[in-house]
Amino acid sequence: MKDESANLSFRLTLPAQVLVLFISVFPLLMQAYISLTDWSPLSGQSWTQAWAFWNTFANYSDLLSDGRLWSALGRTAFVMAVCVPIEFMLGLGLATLFMDDFRGKRVFYSILIMPMMVVPAVAGYMFFMLFQSGGPVNDILSMFTGSPVTIAWLSNPKLALVAVMVADIWQWTPLMFLILLAGLVGVPEDQVRAATLLGANPLQRFTSIVLPRMKTIIGIALAIRVIECFKIFDTLFIMTGGGPGVATETISVYIYKIATQDLIWGYVAAIALAILIVLSVVCVWALKRMARVRA
Amino acid sequence: MSMIRLENLVKRFGAFTALKTMDLTIADGEFVALLGPSGCGKSTTMNMIAGMETPSEGRILFGDRDMAGVPMGRRGVGFVFQNYAIFTHMTVRQNLSYGLRATRRPADEVVRRTNAMAELLQLTPMLDRPAAGLSVNILQRVAIGRSAIMEPAIFLLDEPLSNVDAAFRAVMRTELKGLQRSFKQTMVYVTHDQLEAMTMADRIAVMDHGVLQQVGTPLQIYNDPANLFVAKFIGSPGMNLLHGRPVDTGGEVAIDLGALGHSLPLAPEQAAAARRAKGDVVFGFRPEQAARVGEGQGMAMPISFVERIGARTILHLGEGAASAKTVFENDAGFEMGRALHFAPHPSAVRLFDAASGAALRGH
Repeated sequence: MKDESANLSFRLTLPAQVLVLFISVFPLLMQAYISLTDWSPLSGQSWTQAWAFWNTFANYSDLLSDGRLWSALGRTAFVMAVCVPIEFMLGLGLATLFMDDFRGKRVFYSILIMPMMVVPAVAGYMFFMLFQSGGPVNDILSMFTGSPVTIAWLSNPKLALVAVMVADIWQWTPLMFLILLAGLVGVPEDQVRAATLLGANPLQRFTSIVLPRMKTIIGIALAIRVIECFKIFDTLFIMTGGGPGVATETISVYIYKIATQDLIWGYVAAIALAILIVLSVVCVWALKRMARVRA
Repeated sequence: MSMIRLENLVKRFGAFTALKTMDLTIADGEFVALLGPSGCGKSTTMNMIAGMETPSEGRILFGDRDMAGVPMGRRGVGFVFQNYAIFTHMTVRQNLSYGLRATRRPADEVVRRTNAMAELLQLTPMLDRPAAGLSVNILQRVAIGRSAIMEPAIFLLDEPLSNVDAAFRAVMRTELKGLQRSFKQTMVYVTHDQLEAMTMADRIAVMDHGVLQQVGTPLQIYNDPANLFVAKFIGSPGMNLLHGRPVDTGGEVAIDLGALGHSLPLAPEQAAAARRAKGDVVFGFRPEQAARVGEGQGMAMPISFVERIGARTILHLGEGAASAKTVFENDAGFEMGRALHFAPHPSAVRLFDAASGAALRGH
């Protein structure tokens, strides 16, 4: 009986399974295949002929000694390590504020989640203009300092990275806020009240009742942002193009450049596959750890 | 110190008035039940005592201290929620000791008091079990213990027995009353179950539609309801209420019940009450207090249904506005459709003003 229903489920979902396999497994295999060759679209051969350029694991040994790749990875990790915690703290703070009622809450709510709706390319242009040396950011700084400020944000290697991170925080704090607000709303009010009646102060209530209840949703929010932040590209690319030099070149920008400018697709495929494997291992490890903490 | 005084308490939620007015004094160490149907304002009253809601008008005093502006964590009240609000991500021990740990008591005191409370509530075997997945009976004891361990002077319980099955409810009623005796705290108990209120409370405050209807001991409320609502609400089945007119036949007063017949001559106190009536009255009597009489002597009503519940037999009489129930000790050959000749005992009769619904009293 049980076998029969399992068999039926298998047959009913077969078309979907085939489709999923085709969509996700086929490109992966193709990528793995190309990554073992020196094939490039400029070679004039179709990708199926890539075996003619077979170089075994040369691409992989190349990427281990590719300094530009490693510094791009390091930069991406740095952006992630700065942006995600700031977005998390801001989002959590705002969400906590929004648990109370105050005047104009609905208006603030709409304004607050608006950045998330802005197309990243548009956000890129916005911040590109804001951070011009004659732009509004400098004007505002001038107002505070009293003397004209003409910082060339986007052409200073260090400040360009700051500007890019500011844009990311502006755009993605609202997502953190929304997810964490949903989590806060789900904390049973009676339990918080019970803790209050037992004499717990706000900080104790937060750490002993609210946080444990939100563990899962915080994990999800952080996972979404870490993955997204690792792939940071569009806003950044429009603001700085990865420059000045390679000062804001993240892993996505680096892959984009070598794929469109240098056209060495075999190597691109190798980098992409290597990152996918590393990220998957990290994600699976993190998920397993989360599951263990809950159990 | 732990006397509670509610003075002219009013609570409005926007346009809706949950509590129209409330004046009540609860003595130190007293067990008072707030009893009423859902939406009568009893939980709102309790939440205001705990500090979870702010009164729209009026004052709440603990002893002589006005509680306005005192946050709920500082009022020193223990509160047992209807759903118990157990911290399900903690163990039973962590739940019990939560308040002591939050207020930073020394570690050895926390251990000692937690163990003592667990012993008292027979929770010792499951102290280190996670609270999630325990049975309702145990959760309830954890909820009570978690509040009681703080030794609050005032204990508030919000329908704590509504989630437990009937058999266990009877056990818990006795247990709760016993706990209150040992803790000697002022207890306010919200319930819609009159049996809980009657069996446990020193005094009952009956509420309806945001208005306090009557306050008194269980027997006062049962024997002398202040108005038609209390008469109907208390007792199972509730008091029989029939429309009638007092007839004064020189010295003796009886109630003319129209087609149903008439009452026996009233006892002096009830007669005095009947003489005060301005017009029609509502004639009330408890179903248990009727006796069979000879034909033509008292009231006559057709038996519409015979409900036998073992020790007692409940007769459903008449229909519509002219209906009543009587309870007899044994089944003496009652037959559906036959007329029952009966009359309530003269001193058991209660009279109410037909217009206002208020009880008519002889003095």
